[in-house]
Amino acid sequence: MLADPCRLAAGRAALLLNIDALEFAFTGRRVLTGLSLSVGRGEIVALLGPNGSGKSTLIRAICGRLRPDAGSVSVSGVDPHADPQARRLIGLVPQQIALYPHLSVLENVRAFGRLSGVASNRIGECAEYALETCDLQAVAARRAGQLSGGWQRRTNIACALSHSPELLILDEPTVGIDPPARRDIESLLGRLAGHDIGILMTSHDLGQLERLADRVAFLKDGVVAASGKPADLIAKYYAGQREWDVMLLQAPSTRQAGLLGQIGLVADPADGNWRWRGLVDEQTPAAEIERVLDGLPVSQWRVRRPGLGSLWRTLYPPVPETRR
Amino acid sequence: MILTIAHIMWLALWRDRGALMLAFVLPPLMFFVFAEVFSGTGEDELEMRVALLDSAETPATVVLFDAIHALDGLLPGEHSARDRHDLEAMVRAGRFDAAVWIRAEPDADLDADAPIVVIADASRALAASVVSGRLQALLQTSFPELGIARAVALVDVLAGPYTHEQQLALDDALAGLDRDRAARGLGDGNALASPDGLIERRMLTGAAVADDGISYYAGAVAILFLLFSAMQGAISLIEERDSGIVDRLVAGPGGYGVVVFGKGLFLTALGLAQAAVIFASAWWFYGIDWPGRFGPWLVTALLAAAVSAWLGLLLASMCRSRQQATTASAFAVLILSAIGGSMMPRFLMPGWLRDLGWLTPNAWVIESWQDIFWRDVGLQDLVPGWSVLLGIFLVAMALTLWRAGGLARLK
Repeated sequence: MLADPCRLAAGRAALLLNIDALEFAFTGRRVLTGLSLSVGRGEIVALLGPNGSGKSTLIRAICGRLRPDAGSVSVSGVDPHADPQARRLIGLVPQQIALYPHLSVLENVRAFGRLSGVASNRIGECAEYALETCDLQAVAARRAGQLSGGWQRRTNIACALSHSPELLILDEPTVGIDPPARRDIESLLGRLAGHDIGILMTSHDLGQLERLADRVAFLKDGVVAASGKPADLIAKYYAGQREWDVMLLQAPSTRQAGLLGQIGLVADPADGNWRWRGLVDEQTPAAEIERVLDGLPVSQWRVRRPGLGSLWRTLYPPVPETRR
Repeated sequence: MILTIAHIMWLALWRDRGALMLAFVLPPLMFFVFAEVFSGTGEDELEMRVALLDSAETPATVVLFDAIHALDGLLPGEHSARDRHDLEAMVRAGRFDAAVWIRAEPDADLDADAPIVVIADASRALAASVVSGRLQALLQTSFPELGIARAVALVDVLAGPYTHEQQLALDDALAGLDRDRAARGLGDGNALASPDGLIERRMLTGAAVADDGISYYAGAVAILFLLFSAMQGAISLIEERDSGIVDRLVAGPGGYGVVVFGKGLFLTALGLAQAAVIFASAWWFYGIDWPGRFGPWLVTALLAAAVSAWLGLLLASMCRSRQQATTASAFAVLILSAIGGSMMPRFLMPGWLRDLGWLTPNAWVIESWQDIFWRDVGLQDLVPGWSVLLGIFLVAMALTLWRAGGLARLK
């Protein structure tokens, strides 16, 4: 990777992004209710939460688009709402392919660099840096609209890097692309973090976040409900437990449901009560559970270590269809 | 299966209010506008705004003045004209479709100038015909003695008593009258007397003889297409909102204002180029004096392009989807153009529709270019029209930025 020629000579505060007790209400509804979060240099922090948990509002507040009702946001010590120049420190990668399809990759990168405040005499080297960082030189002359999904995603990131931000915010950066392209982007994000860029990302790919994120923050009701290193969080919530995941061929009878409940499994209403999951003490003999399952119309079952998915289900328990 | 597709299309139409409006509200509205115009183009229905002036002020001309004032289809307006030149200036300025000047009391003197003069702008030639026709009808029905007296005098002068020889002489004289009229028409195209010599028609030509109404259509077509292309171009605002580009841009130091201003600048430049292409064609192929009036033209063109650009952006900022914006822009452009005079001259419209036209940018732009190319008015006379266009532009820009600011926060 090239040395970044365009990095602003900003202060080197230890915390790149610092959010403290942030509150924001929208049309009378409190969306953020005292949220605190930080991202350090070279750190990848994942933001997790269901729709409506406040992720988008939080990203807008970080980008300076919203004035908080209370609390503070600072990027490298500067409030992005009060000082638009602070936004030059931020690179935003929207969930959509936010490119001009009729422009080439290079033209897109240059255009977004200029719009992000890069001087015309420096845009060339800044664009070259962004292209090389994202391995896009081979397609630099091709129109963005003609590229495959993976290349477009990478161009999406390159455009956000065109002004050499210190904080990169990515909203679902790998949605809709195949596994090899996803791995390429994960590798790119790892390299960027290695270059002292702070990364705040959202994703619903929990396996990806377990591999990639230094820290995860689960949002619930406008605050961070749980945060920390993925392994630490899992250890904290699920020490000595295993997750059982059972798929049935049909919805169980009342008696069968009772048996599943006895061993600690609960139905997932999203799967029409055909799927039952639960955390079981790892000391519990597997044979005991298998004996219960023997009398049920099971299509498959598996036991695994709890992960971020387990934590997700704990923090955001499935809502039965009738309550939706 | 065929019916299923038809059913799906019906549901799509039914649930798209914009498309429904386009399908079922716009057509009758357009029909209404055209019906109002063209159902009133018969001699009896057209309403003409006229300025009346009685310079003779004899008892007979006062009666005639009152009769003309009360004539159906003529809408006499208040004015302060004192002579023919004042009337000509007002007609040329577009304040009236035509003027009727009673120069002298109508009598049997065939050697005197026609006592009644109808003054009209050559760009509204139809107005002169309509007003003259109504005056002729009025004189024949309400003042038949005038015509008869002149006819008797004419016969007396030309033929005397109706002997055989006189009959031959009369035929010869009538043929000579036809020849004289033809000769007068060739010699003075701007002043044409009626056969009985009572009414003279004076047509005011434009600043450039070559114009022949071309500048009107150049302006009318230019503003129509400026609006169309600006509205279509402004829709990119919605596309960028949907694609996330706006999210990316507003996160930058420039904010959303930069995006909207950039689009406004481009669409204004595009509109200016379009207007230039149209007027260059009018200059090249029809000889209007575009280079000679380039400065004032440029001001009007710039204002027209800016108004179109920002009205387009305002409309786009008020729409939630591309489909909605496409529908709304088609609706807006067609209605503005129909009422504003881009599709037919406004003087053909009923009075209330003409007044409504002043609410459209089309009317102001067309009038401004007419002032420049046809009426050849001074800069001070162009300022009011330019001020209105500047006002529309500033209001549209302010509203767009206000709307866009809200969208940038909430998107």
